[in-house]
Amino acid sequence: MTLTTVLLLAAALIGIGVYGALSQQSFVMLMMGLELMLNGVMLAAIGFWAMSGAGAPEGQLLTILVMAVMAIEMAMGFALVVAVYRGKQADVTESIADLKG
Amino acid sequence: MKTSIVVDVAFWLLAVFAVYTGWRVFRTDSMVRASFFLLLSFIAVGVIMLLLSAVYLGVAMFFMMGVEMMVMALFMVMFMMNPAGLNPMMMVHQHRLSIGAGVASFVMLAAMALLAEFPRHPLPNDVQPVAALGNELMGESMLIFESAAVVLLATMIGVVVLSSQRGRFGSAEQGSMPPGLEPGGDPAGMPDEDEQAGGHHHCH
Amino acid sequence: MALSVMLEQLVWPLAMVFAVLGGGVYLWAVLDGLAARSFGLPQAQSVWLTPLSRGTWLLIQQANSTEAPDLWAWRLAPALYLALAAVGLALVPWSQGWVATDLATSLVLWGSLEALATVVIFLQGWSANSHFALVGAYRYVALGLSYILISMFVLIGVALPAESLALTRIVASQQDVWNLVRQPLGLPLFLMVGLALTFRGPFNLADPRDLAGGTSVEVSGPPRLVWELARSAMLVAFSGIAATVFLGGWLGPWLPGPLWVMLKMLAILALLAWLGRWFAVMTPSRCLSLMWLILLPLAFVDLVWAGVVALL
Repeated sequence: MTLTTVLLLAAALIGIGVYGALSQQSFVMLMMGLELMLNGVMLAAIGFWAMSGAGAPEGQLLTILVMAVMAIEMAMGFALVVAVYRGKQADVTESIADLKG
Repeated sequence: MKTSIVVDVAFWLLAVFAVYTGWRVFRTDSMVRASFFLLLSFIAVGVIMLLLSAVYLGVAMFFMMGVEMMVMALFMVMFMMNPAGLNPMMMVHQHRLSIGAGVASFVMLAAMALLAEFPRHPLPNDVQPVAALGNELMGESMLIFESAAVVLLATMIGVVVLSSQRGRFGSAEQGSMPPGLEPGGDPAGMPDEDEQAGGHHHCH
Repeated sequence: MALSVMLEQLVWPLAMVFAVLGGGVYLWAVLDGLAARSFGLPQAQSVWLTPLSRGTWLLIQQANSTEAPDLWAWRLAPALYLALAAVGLALVPWSQGWVATDLATSLVLWGSLEALATVVIFLQGWSANSHFALVGAYRYVALGLSYILISMFVLIGVALPAESLALTRIVASQQDVWNLVRQPLGLPLFLMVGLALTFRGPFNLADPRDLAGGTSVEVSGPPRLVWELARSAMLVAFSGIAATVFLGGWLGPWLPGPLWVMLKMLAILALLAWLGRWFAVMTPSRCLSLMWLILLPLAFVDLVWAGVVALL
């Protein structure tokens, strides 16, 4: 386990997350892609904290903040899904094309 | 950081597991299964964090993600199609582009990980991760931590506004009709207006 | 030398965990039978024999299946629940230096076990592909998301005087006065968390009679045995944690530390058996109202109380 291998794992998770966020039609699956990306980000932050930053406490703080971002993303995401579903009976991205030019 | 052979083997097993479960999230036929595969991926990353001696964050990861994926699965069963995975399901758009973007971002980040020179400052031997994190949160970075708390509070209010019964766009039940059986058709499973009114009169 | 260290640090603590888990599950079943008899429910045979005969009966029954279940999740869910219980009990310190898993954050790990238990119980109900099981799973998630919050606040309360998240330090902080006395609201609230975690007594929303058995309605034979074992084992692990954080763990005169922990666990199990039979099963809506409108504010009061006491 070196910094490089940890970062490679983080890169793989972020790559899968990017694929998921771009390819999925369902809102909730799309959010899973975002979560997977943040998963990789947190791992990279902890990797840097432990192997490159000499245990500076800010590294852990950053990870806590990413966790908070995840919670916010989840809560707001689901609230929006509920609101959109009530308004349009839509649960896939194709069904709401209001912003399409 | 010198790691023992046990830690190395554990890391590789967990890394393969995290990537495999992360990939299965978008390849499984059931959305509930997808959210629990994501949970498994998070748990594997949490254990790797424990191996990296982030004792609090690794455990907090189990905690946070356990609840979060539970809520996700709940929404899956409530809203989404095919929660049980009885039918094959592949709901994607711009598939080639997405694969390309995913591979491209992996290659770019991996190149950075392999080629860039990062400073090597391993953890000191006497590090106390939990106490250090606590002192940071309640000391130097109090303001950052507090602003995260305020943002979370704002999120809570926003979520309640968006999903509450009486919003500024009228009552929530007003729009909540089940979707039609065919596109643009009548709402499924709803009794006719007349029948409902008749039943109502009957009650009186 | 290395062998003796391994024996002392790994083998004996783990053997202890499994022995207490096995003995605790049996004693819990007996205590539950005694509690049932004390409320006038007729018992078919001696309460000492009932758990054994039921276990044997389940073991030789056939494990039936439903139409298109998620077989992996369905078969794994009981085992995972049992594993969570074993991990939980491994956190309990038996004496000053005798802990199977001594983490700096063992209290948080217990909290995450509670969160993961919700996932496992949902999985058990969902994967059977059956109506009542899914309804039970749904009810349990609603309950689970409520009790996790209460448990969190109560546990933060006990971490305050210890200034640590490690269970050994929390026990050491109770040298002069137990948390039971220092935070009188804590243990009653935590006991309700325990009943909810294993869906017993008033909080049996997952496997109740009105759902014909809820999440385990379709489960029979050995998987059913594992499920019932896991439910009891989780309660045993819970009693270990409760004894550690509120009743001073290994602290006590005359007897050796591990014996004190076990006696305190037994007292909590007996209390829970009696409480579980004393209260009627609640309807889901009333249960949620109770959790969010009464118990959660009480948990806040408990936390403020703990903070004020810690400041004084």
